[in-house]
Amino acid sequence: MPQKNSRRGATRQSVKATKHRWSKRSSFSLKLYLRQHQSTLTESFMRLLNYPLASVMTVMVIAIALTLPGSLYVLLKNVQSITSNWDKQSAITLYLFPQVDDTQALALSHRLSARPDVASVDYISKEEGLRDFERWSGYTQLLSSLQGNPLPIVLKVIPKMVVSEQTLPVLETLRKQLAAQGEVQNAVLDAQWLERLANILSFGQRLAYALSILLIVAVLLIVGNTIRMAVESRRDEVLVMKLVGATDSYIRRPFLYMGLWFGILGGFFASLCILILSWWVSAPAERLIELYGSHFKLQTFNADEIVLCLTISAFVGISGAWIAVNRHIANIEL
Amino acid sequence: MEIEFQRVGKKYDSGQEALSQVSFHLRQGEMAFLTGHSGAGKSTLMKLMMMIERQTSGQILVDGVDLRILSRRAIPYHRRRVGVVFQNHQLLFDRSVFHNVALPLQVSGVDPEQTAKRVRAALDKVGLLGKEKYNPMALSGGEQQRIGIARAVVNKPQLLLADEPTGNLDPKLSAEIMNLFQEFNNVGVTVLVASHDLALVARMRHRVLTLNQGRMVNDGGFA
Repeated sequence: MPQKNSRRGATRQSVKATKHRWSKRSSFSLKLYLRQHQSTLTESFMRLLNYPLASVMTVMVIAIALTLPGSLYVLLKNVQSITSNWDKQSAITLYLFPQVDDTQALALSHRLSARPDVASVDYISKEEGLRDFERWSGYTQLLSSLQGNPLPIVLKVIPKMVVSEQTLPVLETLRKQLAAQGEVQNAVLDAQWLERLANILSFGQRLAYALSILLIVAVLLIVGNTIRMAVESRRDEVLVMKLVGATDSYIRRPFLYMGLWFGILGGFFASLCILILSWWVSAPAERLIELYGSHFKLQTFNADEIVLCLTISAFVGISGAWIAVNRHIANIEL
Repeated sequence: MEIEFQRVGKKYDSGQEALSQVSFHLRQGEMAFLTGHSGAGKSTLMKLMMMIERQTSGQILVDGVDLRILSRRAIPYHRRRVGVVFQNHQLLFDRSVFHNVALPLQVSGVDPEQTAKRVRAALDKVGLLGKEKYNPMALSGGEQQRIGIARAVVNKPQLLLADEPTGNLDPKLSAEIMNLFQEFNNVGVTVLVASHDLALVARMRHRVLTLNQGRMVNDGGFA
């Protein structure tokens, strides 16, 4: 019995000793840890400077790859802001059946203008229509040779609601209601340009997304390849570090920081390129839009978007480095 | 540190059997030599102890702990307890002697003041204190090997492994290097030196383990 006790005591003691040794060895200092990170951060930047030409080329390739989707984004942003400001009065043009006469047409016109969602109704008689047509077509002689007036009576209904992407469905319902009137042969909402524009915009958006994804993958590959070469050129160092007990995360760290630097610098120069590009096209773009009678100030990358661009590129840089480093340090063995 | 090999085998994917049924026990504080012709499995045995490679059969106990239970993540911490010296030094020529020796301390997160103190102590022990600012390239072969030894002991390892540490050195320098290992052993470090320099090994009068084609053919006697 006493023997057993003493043995248990010895075990406890040795456990205590191990624990003590362990805590001594792993005494973790946050200050030291941060200092290590900071020195790795600066060291990895200095390493970029050691190979200035290669580093500049990598950074510029990343910058160019990011400038493309970035400027597409700015372009879309501007088109959207122009169209959202185009809250214009639109009209629903009602072409009445040819057999509908003026009295019936006028009655319909009064009925419609009484509706709460209609601002006004323009009455265009057959004669008025013909005169208008003559004026802008120039076919005076041809028209005078006609037996009668082939044009129908036209009512131009101006809805109270302005047309925009949001109100389009409401106006479309109104158009259908008006088309359902017995006198109306055909009702046309002249806001279809808006629908087309919306389609073009969503096409542009998808194009921008697809391009962004492709080019971000390209950046990943570029960073990955550069980091792979960096790992390869420091093969001996990685090997020795592994042999003397460096953890994978310790070995990874300088390369991840290198990827971070590539990302941040690439994002920075991409932002710069986009700012320069939009400044360069702003004067002609603004003149062009003003020709369409609307005041326009080109929007460029704002501070938030620059921060977003830097964040994305930094993240992509680190990810590219991570993939490359994990693949390659595992292969370095004695 | 105490090392025990129990019927350890290492078979490579190619089918080549580098070690088979190797058993020996290296006691805490013991010094021994490992000899055998080239290709006999000396380096493989060292690699198993470093966990650079893993055995395919048998078990290796380090201080009673089976190395098989250690995960990949635990390997660096195992290596920090073991100092290794290589024939080809594995020194980094892009940094000074000081920074070569400091590497094991840096990777285990020792603070810079402590690092400087311990690096100087290690360099002092191998007689290179005045040369810490040199590039290793500027030093002789014997001095380079001593940098490697300083790096192996700077972390105060409990086990010191040396793979052909005197391979390229003349007899006088070789004897000096061996005496260094003897000194570390004198302060309680377990030492295992792989060498094919039988004359030198015999002079050291320690236990000799001999490998032949992956098998332990002699254990104990002097070569």
